[in-house]
Amino acid sequence: MAKGSFTATIGYNKRIGKSFYKIGLEFSGASAEVFADVKPGQFVEIDLCHASLPADNKIPGELCDSAGRNIILRRPFSFSDIAVEKGKTTVEILYCTVGPASLRMSNLEAGDSVSVIGPLGNGFGMPEGKTTALLVLGGTGAGPIIHLAKQLKNYPQIQKIAFVGARSVEDLPFEKIADCIGAEGGDYLAEFSGTDTQTFVSTDDGSVGSKGFVTDILYRYLKQSGVERREIMVYACGPEPMLARVAQIAESENIDCQVSLERRMACGIGLCQSCAVECKAGDSGQSIYKMCCKDGPVFDASEVVF
Amino acid sequence: MNNNVDMSVDFGGLKLAGPVFTASGTCGYADELGDFMDLGCLGGFITKSITVEPRKGNPTPRIVETDSGMLNAIGLANIGLDNFIEEKLPILGGMSCAVFVNIAGKSAEEYIEVARRLCGFEQIAGFELNISCPNVKKGGIAFGTDPVQVAEITKKVKKAGGGKKLMVKLSPNVTDISATARAAVEAGADALSLINTFMAMVIDIESGKPVLANRTGGLSGPAIKPIAVYMVNKVYNEVTKGTGVPILGSGGIRTGSDAVEFMMAGASAVAVGTASFIEPASCEKIAAGIEDYCSKKGIDSLKKLTGSLC
Ligand SMILES: Cc1cc2nc3c(=O)[nH]c(=O)nc-3n(C[C@H](O)[C@H](O)[C@H](O)COP(=O)(O)OP(=O)(O)OC[C@H]3O[C@@H](n4cnc5c(N)ncnc54)[C@H](O)[C@@H]3O)c2cc1C
Ligand SMILES: Cc1cc2nc3c(=O)[nH]c(=O)nc-3n(C[C@H](O)[C@H](O)[C@H](O)COP(=O)(O)O)c2cc1C
Ligand code: FES
Repeated sequence: MAKGSFTATIGYNKRIGKSFYKIGLEFSGASAEVFADVKPGQFVEIDLCHASLPADNKIPGELCDSAGRNIILRRPFSFSDIAVEKGKTTVEILYCTVGPASLRMSNLEAGDSVSVIGPLGNGFGMPEGKTTALLVLGGTGAGPIIHLAKQLKNYPQIQKIAFVGARSVEDLPFEKIADCIGAEGGDYLAEFSGTDTQTFVSTDDGSVGSKGFVTDILYRYLKQSGVERREIMVYACGPEPMLARVAQIAESENIDCQVSLERRMACGIGLCQSCAVECKAGDSGQSIYKMCCKDGPVFDASEVVF
Repeated sequence: MNNNVDMSVDFGGLKLAGPVFTASGTCGYADELGDFMDLGCLGGFITKSITVEPRKGNPTPRIVETDSGMLNAIGLANIGLDNFIEEKLPILGGMSCAVFVNIAGKSAEEYIEVARRLCGFEQIAGFELNISCPNVKKGGIAFGTDPVQVAEITKKVKKAGGGKKLMVKLSPNVTDISATARAAVEAGADALSLINTFMAMVIDIESGKPVLANRTGGLSGPAIKPIAVYMVNKVYNEVTKGTGVPILGSGGIRTGSDAVEFMMAGASAVAVGTASFIEPASCEKIAAGIEDYCSKKGIDSLKKLTGSLC
């Protein structure tokens, strides 16, 4: 069914770390059907303008300044999970409080309602014909990758490995991290439980996992892996410099790679052209702009000009 | 639905089914909005600015939100005249409302070329002349701030556009908007559209650079509404009242009551831009709001609302 504008009810909204939260948006009736088959990488535009800010003493110091800003635009968020029951679909979003809209989101309580436009964008392509899926994520890029890992359960024959990066242990959007990760990773992270996904973690400061960039552990893994390059699919979501490096590695190793990009979006539905992504126009050496909200947010890495 | 209010508008000789237009550059090419509202609620649809050659537009960030508004510097990104004729005109042909093609260019010749090539298509009701875009280096606003140039380009495009209606979109980035408005009307404009966005800048104090890649952008949204209402009223009183030249009022309209303010100030119809980003069914809701207001106040025709400010 087509995208549209719907009302969602908050099922839960829980804090899972210093500044990370998981919120469950419940859809019932016709909207339950619309959201029942959302794909990992797709997103929604949420109107948070009418949600209130937390009380002064609950606003983190570093956000006091930006919290004072009035907001008028919706905000894009992708899904981290989905649960379908009869007549009710709950989509989960993993988000980080970074400014006035996400702060308002953190103040929503079960039973509150918000206006949601979606589902939007194209989502990740499934790894048809592959034997190995490598999932690379940084920071809030975790949401769509966790959702993807859950979806990949439908491909039991495919080997799944996640490479998780963050500045520091506090910037990892997961619960109970310390319990499950050894120095070189290789264990299973709670969020990926049941998805049969092996996890390697790196932090810039070495506070958990290996010290360095997530792209370093991806590169090291590929160098020692004997898997045929054409049997691998890389999926990546996170900060743009990380995605650029992943795309570079994929290109040099001749591996298929999909990246989920973020742009500032005014509308999310193709009205404004604010979300331009520079893409290669064939082999001409020229470039064109595609729209992140309509043509993406997932792009073939080889097509993007980083 | 209240049947006791006549929502039709005589727009410079063009009969419109309703008073609400989509503003240029904020509603794609019409196919995008169909998922969210009944396009039959529109009085008019204005396309993104079209130029002779396709334009890629500016690098990102192209927008930034401000308190109660937003800046954009899209840079007139558009598919160009040939692609527009081939791909988009057929879609626009299916619309029941009046379609205006917004024209932009770097030189008078480019504006004329677009008008000349499009004037034969009957699905187009008229042109909106964008002489007020703040986001391109040449053309755009340069034409829009000097009354002599406004008159000249209005005359030329009017001539090139056959019998099509010509609406001139005015820039608010001038000392006296009545001067450019008068120049356009005297040169033969069939309607005026005001206002376009205000030149503005947002600075990222961490990097010490402007947020927008283009450095500056145009401010739109609720933040500009009171200034827009003032300018519409000024132009209505000083230029168009009694001439039969209608004003399409825009700038920060989000609700039916915002639209009523513009009409009281002197607008015959209104255009909705930024509000559609937040609520894609804005135009439909605004049209219903205007009708509701009229019905409550016993106003049986929109004509009576235009310029009714005491
Ligand atoms: C397709 C898409 C999917 C997304 N999914 C998620 C998600 O699952 N979880 C999540 O936490 N966040 C996600 N985001 C990012 C999220 O939209 C922003 O964090 C949010 O808009 C911030 O709003 P704010 O008012 O709290 O902060 P703002 O004050 O608006 O922004 C805070 C800071 O982040 C920067 N910023 C804001 N939006 C963006 C952007 N789109 N790209 C790069 N920088 C930006 C601003 O420059 C500013 O410095 C997604 C963005 C996109 C485009
Ligand atoms: C993202 C964006 C793109 C725009 N593009 C154009 C354009 O191509 N041509 C034009 O004449 N005006 C353009 N405008 C101006 C609008 O048509 C309108 O005049 C202005 O935004 C004020 O109305 P609003 O406050 O309702 O948005 C654009 C505005 C926005 C926000
Ligand atoms: S956000 Fe408006 S076109 Fe993509």
